[in-house]
Amino acid sequence: MNDNENNFGLLRRLLAHKRQETPPPGYFNSFSGQIIARIRAGEDQEMQTDAERYFSEAPWLLKLLQAFELKPAFAGAFASALSLLLVFGIIYAERPDSAPQPLFQTSDQSAGSFAAASPSAVVQPSISSDITASNSAASSLQPVASLFGSQNVLVQPVNLSPAGN
Amino acid sequence: MIMAEPAPIPVPETPVQTGEMELVRRAQKGDLEAYDQLIKRYQERIYATVYHMTSNHEDANDLAQDAFIKAFQALKSFKGGSSFYTWLYRIAVNKTINFLKQRKNRLHMSLNDLDFNTENNPDLVALISDKTPRREAGLKELQEKLNEALLKLSEQHRLVMVLHDVQGQSHEEIAEIMNCNIGTVRSRLFYARQQMQAWMADYLKPT
Repeated sequence: MNDNENNFGLLRRLLAHKRQETPPPGYFNSFSGQIIARIRAGEDQEMQTDAERYFSEAPWLLKLLQAFELKPAFAGAFASALSLLLVFGIIYAERPDSAPQPLFQTSDQSAGSFAAASPSAVVQPSISSDITASNSAASSLQPVASLFGSQNVLVQPVNLSPAGN
Repeated sequence: MIMAEPAPIPVPETPVQTGEMELVRRAQKGDLEAYDQLIKRYQERIYATVYHMTSNHEDANDLAQDAFIKAFQALKSFKGGSSFYTWLYRIAVNKTINFLKQRKNRLHMSLNDLDFNTENNPDLVALISDKTPRREAGLKELQEKLNEALLKLSEQHRLVMVLHDVQGQSHEEIAEIMNCNIGTVRSRLFYARQQMQAWMADYLKPT
């Protein structure tokens, strides 16, 4: 152990002499000036390639790619997972399925019902159909001859407040 | 022969030192004059760290400049949770490690710029054993071997060794820079020294 420490001592002294490996005299006189000039000129951004710029905006992507480079097993696992996902997607897509159920009533139905209704009638359906009813009613009004100056425009008040209010 | 310890390196200026936080605040607002002063404060240490990691002056120049530029661009995100120089070191170190990973197989050293005094330094001369079969090895060769051995270490081990044994940083500072605990720093340092000791055995003076 003492030998080791002694040897480490020699090694440390040798390493400490690396401090003398310095750049040529005067090197640092212009060092900061060069950096400031690069910042001013925006040289750094100009020199970035598109890929580098993209990576700087999405550093996680760069980390992922670096992980692929450093750990080929990780890249393999990722590719396998993607392939499995693709196969699963194809199989799932080809499976016969029942017709999809509409989540909501189509607006045609409500539009039809409102079109049949008298324009003067004030409709107060449920809250969920209020907005649809208003839009549909507006579209089912009598045709307007022109946008401006028409005498025959029918104006129907629209009630946007929820039913019951 | 008794060898003198190399002259201690200057202690890094701490963030509590007068004006540093003020300079940082001004630089955060885009004051390039203030940032210029911050660069001047740390340029030699950042450059030296990068150089000892890469063993190449051209790469060290580019990486150190890039690190300072990146730090300026990211300065607004600096909240003062750590000292400015620790934060700056992290940027420089991460940039250097990424660079080294991308060019892992590159072993390109430029030792032309070594200080002339290095070759005539009596302390360094004394490090070469007069009994070793490698006695004929010149000091330049010793430097080359040392750098080659350093490059054989992993980036993490090399970084610990450079920061501690070359630059004289404390375990605590290194742990903060590397974002790991002190125990990890110590174990990495011990492992790195063991490896270096084995690789440099022929060149070191036996006791």
